Amino acid sequence: MALPLLRRGAASAARCSRSSVQASVVVNIRQNSSFAKVEETPLEAPEDWTNLQLKRAEYKSLIDTFSEYGSTQTRDNTFQPHHTLHRPVAPSDITLSALLASGAHFGHSHTRMNPNFVPYAYGTRAGITIIDLDHTLPLLRRAAQVVRGVAARGGSIVFVGTRADLRSTVRLAAERMGKQGYHVGERWLPGTLTNKVHMFGPDVARDEQVVPDLVVFLNPIPNIHAIRECALEHVPTIGIVDSNVDPRVVMYPIPANDESTRTAELISGLLSVAGREGVAIYHEEQAKAARAASRRPSRPREQHMA
Amino acid sequence: MNIAKKAAGGALRFRAYATAAYVPPASMENVQRGRLPPPKPKPESPTFYTGRATYYDQLLALENASKQTRSALQQLQLLPLSRFAQQNLPPLHPVWKSQVDLAELMEAKLTTSRYRRFVSQLNQLNQYRRLAEVAGHLALAERLQRVLDMFERENKEAILARGKAKPTKFDEFGRTYTVGRRKESTARVWVIRTQLSPEEQAAASSSTTPAEPPQVQTSESPAPPPAQTVEDPIVHSAPAVGIPGFESGPLSIGPTQVKVHTTNILINNIPFTDYFPNVADRERIVRPFRVAGLIGAFNVFALVRGGGSTGQSGALTLGIAKGIAAHAPEVEPLLRKGFTSLKL
Repeated sequence: MALPLLRRGAASAARCSRSSVQASVVVNIRQNSSFAKVEETPLEAPEDWTNLQLKRAEYKSLIDTFSEYGSTQTRDNTFQPHHTLHRPVAPSDITLSALLASGAHFGHSHTRMNPNFVPYAYGTRAGITIIDLDHTLPLLRRAAQVVRGVAARGGSIVFVGTRADLRSTVRLAAERMGKQGYHVGERWLPGTLTNKVHMFGPDVARDEQVVPDLVVFLNPIPNIHAIRECALEHVPTIGIVDSNVDPRVVMYPIPANDESTRTAELISGLLSVAGREGVAIYHEEQAKAARAASRRPSRPREQHMA
Repeated sequence: MNIAKKAAGGALRFRAYATAAYVPPASMENVQRGRLPPPKPKPESPTFYTGRATYYDQLLALENASKQTRSALQQLQLLPLSRFAQQNLPPLHPVWKSQVDLAELMEAKLTTSRYRRFVSQLNQLNQYRRLAEVAGHLALAERLQRVLDMFERENKEAILARGKAKPTKFDEFGRTYTVGRRKESTARVWVIRTQLSPEEQAAASSSTTPAEPPQVQTSESPAPPPAQTVEDPIVHSAPAVGIPGFESGPLSIGPTQVKVHTTNILINNIPFTDYFPNVADRERIVRPFRVAGLIGAFNVFALVRGGGSTGQSGALTLGIAKGIAAHAPEVEPLLRKGFTSLKL
C-alpha cells in the first residue's frame, strides 16, 4: 500500500547525495508509522497475528527495495557455508585451490604420523603434518572413477559418516544416487555384514542383497570395525585417510583432513556426483536393453558345452 | 604302442578339464557355461545399513517435515518469533506414546537416547503446529496434526483430565448429586430445575412479556422429591397496574401480573425454615442463589448430618453451590471463593 510511495521516494533518494539519501529514508520511515517497530500489544485473535505478519512483510519489502541500491554482492552470488553441502563439485571441476580452501591439507600432529603415510605427506609445519594435495587430487579422481564404475554396473554404494556434522552430508550424498545410494550417519552396529542373519532376519538375509558393492568412509578411525567387516566380506572401500592412519586400511585411500566438515562435504559431494553419473549410465543401458529386447523377436539359444 | 595310446587316451578323457589342446579366445566368447543366479533385489530403505531402518526413516521424515514447515513459517513472517509473541501463545500439552509403544510401532528395540531424540523432533513439530493454528493458518496446522496424531497416545484426553475435578453427573431425572463439608458436618445435596406448570409453559412460548423477576418464597408443606409444583404466591390485594409514567420495562408490570417461581429447599425431609430457626443460617444457604441470580430456578433436597447448625448450614451452602454450578456453568466463577466484589 505504501510501497509505490516508497519506491518513488527511494528512486529520488538514489539520485541525491549519500547524506540526503539517509535523511529522506529516515523521514520516510517516520512518516509511515507502519514501518515503525512492531508495538508489543497482546496478540489475542488471529487478526492480531495477521497484522504482525503484514508489518513484518512490509519491513522486509523495504529492505529488499533498498538492497537494489547497495552492493552487487548478494546472498545468491557469494559463497555461503551451506554451498559445500547443497552445491557439490563435479569430478571434472575439482581444483587444488578448492581442496586447499576447505582445509584438506591439514594433517594431525607430526609425532602421530603413520610411517606408511609418508608418501602422501608434503612435510611438517607448526607441529602438524601437511598433506600433499598433488597426490590427493589424482587419488580423489580415481576414487570418483571407481564410484562411477560401480554405479554404472548397478552396484549399491554406502556412505558412512558417523559424526553429528557428517550426518546430513552422507544423507544428501545417498539421496543423489537414488535407489543405489545408502547412508549410515549414526554408529555402525557391529555385525551388520558379518552377522546379517541375526541383524536383519533370515528372510531378508536370504532374499535381498545385503552385502553392498562399495563403501565410502568419511571418518575411518571410529569405523575401523566396519572397515574390517568390509574386508571380511570382500567389499571394496574408499576412505578419507589422515596422517595418523595407515592408508592401506582402505582399498582406495584419499589422503585428506578427516576432521574438517568442509573437506568431507567436498569429497562426498564429488563422489556422489560421480555416482549420480554412473546411475544415469546404468539406467540408460537398462532402457537400451529393454528397447532392444522388445524390438527383436526372441530366438532359442544354442548351448555349447566345453 | 596301442596300450600306450589307449592309456594316454584314457588319461586324456579323465582329465578333460586340463586339456592340452589349444582353443583360441575368440571361440570361447559365446560359450554358455551355465547361468548366473538372478541378481537379488537391493534393500529398499536408504538407511538399511544402520540396522534400525524403520526408526531412522521415520526420524528423517519428521526432520524433513520440520524443515519444510520452518521455511513455510519463515515465508509467512511468523518465524523467527519475538519473546513477547512467544508469551502470547497458548500452552502445549502433548502426550506422546511411551518408549514401549513406540518400539512396538517401529518393530524394533528403542533405546532411551533414540526415544528422546524422536520426542524432541515431535515437540518441535508440535510448536510449529501451535504457531500455525494460532496465526489462523488452519490447513497447515491440520496437516501437521495428522502427522502428530500417529505418535500421540490413544487415551490422551483421559491423561490430560487427570487431577482435574470430575464433572458432576446428571441422572435420568435431571438431578445433580453433590456433597458439601464444613467443620464436622456433611451434606448430600440433590438439585433439580423447577418445572414450569402447563399454563406457564404455554404462556412462555406464546407471550412476549419480559422475564419475570423472581422472588424467594418458601413452601410450608413438605413436597416429595424430585417433582415440585409451583404454588401461586400472588397477593391479590395489590393493584393490577404498573407505576404510572413507565410504559415499558420491569416497572410497567404490576405485581399481580408477575408469575413467581419458588425454590423449595428440604433438609432431612423438613423445610429449611423449620430446620434452621436461625436467620444467619438461612441466609447462608440462600446466598448461592442470590449471587447467581437464580432464585426460583432450582429445587433442593438435602440430607445433612454431623456438627451443629453453623457447620450444617455451611456444608449445605457448599453442596448447593456445586449443584448450581453443574446446572449453570456460566455462573461458576461467581460462586468461586474470592469473588467478593458482589455485595448483596
